[in-house]
Amino acid sequence: MSDHHDHDDLPAVDQRIVSAASEGCAESRLLLSRRSMLGVTAALFSSAFLPDFARAATNAEARFLVVVLRGGMDGMGLMIPKLDPLYAAKRKQLALPFASTLSLGTDFALHPALARVHAMYNDGDAAFAPAAGIPLLNRSHFECQDNLENGLQVNEANSTGWINRFLGALPAGDPIRDKRGLEIGDAPLILRGPEPVLGWSPTWFEKSNPDTVARLRAVYTANDPSLWASLENGLAADALALAAGASGGNDISVLRRGFVGAARLMRAASGPRVSVLSVGGWDTHSQQGGLTGQFNDRLSELDQALGDFKIEIGAAWANTVVICVTEFGRTVETNGDTGTDHGIATTSLMVGGAVKAGFIGDWPGLAPAQLYQGDLRPTVDLRSVFKGILRDHIGVPSAALDSVVFPDSATAPTYGGLVKSPVTAARVASAARVQRQPTIQEVSPIARYRQQYGGA
Amino acid sequence: MSLSEQNKLAHIALSRFGMGAKSGSILQIRVNPKSALISELNNPAGALITTASLPSYSDACQAVETDFNDEEKIRQRELTARILKHTRPHVGFVERLVLFFSNHFSMSINKDGAIRATIGQLERDVIRKHVLGNFKDMLLGVMRHPAMLAYLDNDDSMGPNSVTGLAWGTGLNKNLAREILELHTLGVGGGYAEADVASLARIITGWSYVRGWEAEGRYNGGTPGTRGRYVFRPDWHEPGAHVLLGKTYAPTGINQGATALRALAVHPSTAQFLAFKLVRHFITDTPTPAMVNPVAAAFKSSGGSLKATALALINLPEAWTAPLTKLRTPYELQIAEMRALGRVYLHNNRWPFVAALAALRHAPWERPAPDGYTDESVYWMGPDAMRVRLETAQLNAWSLRQISPSFTRSALTLAAGLFTSALSRESRAAIAAAPDLQNGLATLFMTPEFQRR
Repeated sequence: MSDHHDHDDLPAVDQRIVSAASEGCAESRLLLSRRSMLGVTAALFSSAFLPDFARAATNAEARFLVVVLRGGMDGMGLMIPKLDPLYAAKRKQLALPFASTLSLGTDFALHPALARVHAMYNDGDAAFAPAAGIPLLNRSHFECQDNLENGLQVNEANSTGWINRFLGALPAGDPIRDKRGLEIGDAPLILRGPEPVLGWSPTWFEKSNPDTVARLRAVYTANDPSLWASLENGLAADALALAAGASGGNDISVLRRGFVGAARLMRAASGPRVSVLSVGGWDTHSQQGGLTGQFNDRLSELDQALGDFKIEIGAAWANTVVICVTEFGRTVETNGDTGTDHGIATTSLMVGGAVKAGFIGDWPGLAPAQLYQGDLRPTVDLRSVFKGILRDHIGVPSAALDSVVFPDSATAPTYGGLVKSPVTAARVASAARVQRQPTIQEVSPIARYRQQYGGA
Repeated sequence: MSLSEQNKLAHIALSRFGMGAKSGSILQIRVNPKSALISELNNPAGALITTASLPSYSDACQAVETDFNDEEKIRQRELTARILKHTRPHVGFVERLVLFFSNHFSMSINKDGAIRATIGQLERDVIRKHVLGNFKDMLLGVMRHPAMLAYLDNDDSMGPNSVTGLAWGTGLNKNLAREILELHTLGVGGGYAEADVASLARIITGWSYVRGWEAEGRYNGGTPGTRGRYVFRPDWHEPGAHVLLGKTYAPTGINQGATALRALAVHPSTAQFLAFKLVRHFITDTPTPAMVNPVAAAFKSSGGSLKATALALINLPEAWTAPLTKLRTPYELQIAEMRALGRVYLHNNRWPFVAALAALRHAPWERPAPDGYTDESVYWMGPDAMRVRLETAQLNAWSLRQISPSFTRSALTLAAGLFTSALSRESRAAIAAAPDLQNGLATLFMTPEFQRR
């Protein structure tokens, strides 16, 4: 299916949803966003009505996929620091023989499961931060995932996600903002906030029987039209995401389907430009494995998924940045169960045609004095990297990045030079806009009721 | 009253207030559907799960922060008992109230092993125990439980002027106090200020539990025997009297917090908030004072009796006249499907249940934020969610054949037994036209009569 056919193949979108979201009324936005209940098809239509003047500020063709590796990914297992003389001694049975790894030059090498990522690096389309970290260094999955996703110096209650905030910081009518963020599968904090968000889930269940759909259509249109409007849109988005293609068949995992679907939706001319995917299974406390085993299997699937994404997004790859991040790294040394426990800094990985190949931040070293509380010390704050991508790849103004998107991030200066063709400063400046708070007191249902009818 | 009118009211009782019709249950309750609800309210013992093999409080606490697999094994046994319990009553109004209050005090097992190991025990011994009792007791029970103390971080909150706070230079964690006011009692706009949050946080300093590392290393007075249990730590408690909502609470240690919570439990704003939430959960996404006020009044005049409050809810005219516009939550839908079929997913065959709820973002006890799963139908009927609903309806129809190959009733017969004349002509025709049992059941599960409540 080509981009040109997207509209023809889709049913009319539920105009109530589109109008509620596009009216810009704060109330309706809150109602919609927090629940991320918009159908993907809604976005594919609504952006067609955008006025032209809105298309000036940001890089409207930019694609940005954030992959959240949940559980704490062992960065030293993904990327081997060949330069560190203590590597083999410290990693013991997890250490890989260099001969079996994929070279990234003299200092680093990739786990051999990452053949596609390695090929991207050889194409000049991959960059690596060997010791990235977030502000919160307490090794708690729950709190560190929140911190990674809310982009705050210190966690706060009711925080919003930094992606939602950067979308909200763009001018009304901006194409990146109006095409909305897309969550694949789950509803992560990183997208939470006042801006409406789109949702699509890859599933492994048998697809709906078309005859059953036809019979339900008759029932719904007669007795419950809103159920039909919703189901029809959901089926259309799913069909678009998973239209028969080279690697979109039923034989691939749900994870890979998620990447394929994300690429198909993002490549569409009017599709979403910013998406988030979560990949679980990185909390390798026991039997982590080396060249084989569970960690190898996770890396291999991620590598295939990134390869699928590149194929499916097609020509838009040239405008794409994918970043894989995780809440924390793992211990340098193995535990008693041939696994690793929660640590601090870890590898972040960027791929995409827009990515400028290279390494981000220094290698901190494995000698005891170089470690932070016994774990790898962060040499770059992920907020710096995020800010660099948002400014230079998408065109989010620096003023917004330093205030509302990543408040109190003076210690995390914007990291320049991450992309091949940065958005020019003139365009960035034109996008300046009012600030928003990094947390929301959502208009809760009881608050709305009390505003209307009064308190007790 | 005509027979079809009776069927309609019975359908309302089973879907709006119950866990969904079982085959033939509409015939059993249609003589007086409301009295079927009332008889459940008159039987507090019926709310309890009495399975002897489930862990006691101290047994569950022994598993706190031990091993993920041990904690999860307990959680799975609790979930099994919960599902079985849902399938037993004719109507299941009390089961719905249990789910409502469990979600009111929403927690995620993914935050801490203390929650994973004990959340089922909390639901049985606190929520179910008091669901037809007094809200004060439920509130206090939850706040003195390791699961909630771990979930909202009160286990580490210390008064800055307490013995330990002064020695260690540590201070307050206001998470739990804030959510008590915002989510559990008064609600947003309920007449409290930021200073009240801080004050309540001071009042409940020292409310903690014996963390795994304290039990193992015998730190802070912990011992292996007291692992996981609620503990009041006097040395962490902020000394002095504290003012909350204009009222001064004398320095009485643990009783300072208990007294404050009892007052919050019966505050007029709490009455309004709970009444609003109940109306919104059971009747409409847009409650009005005509519906909320009588329920709030019953709560107030009874001093927080949840039975009296539930009675007021079903005595509202709208309870029986408002159209069934709300959508079953995914969890309710799964249970309703099991009740309709008379088949339960347990043990090895539970995966369709778990997979469906994961895909529909409604896994039990896994809401990441403390606000609980939403009650707004507009969320649950999003386009993606409706598509997944249909896929999982097909999955459940398929898996029925795997666990019950001898299931012989046709989907149409089943539908007639569930809804009698409350089934629309169009729904009946769609089910009848299905080519086989699997598609017939999937159609039945997706009819508005099955989806709406």
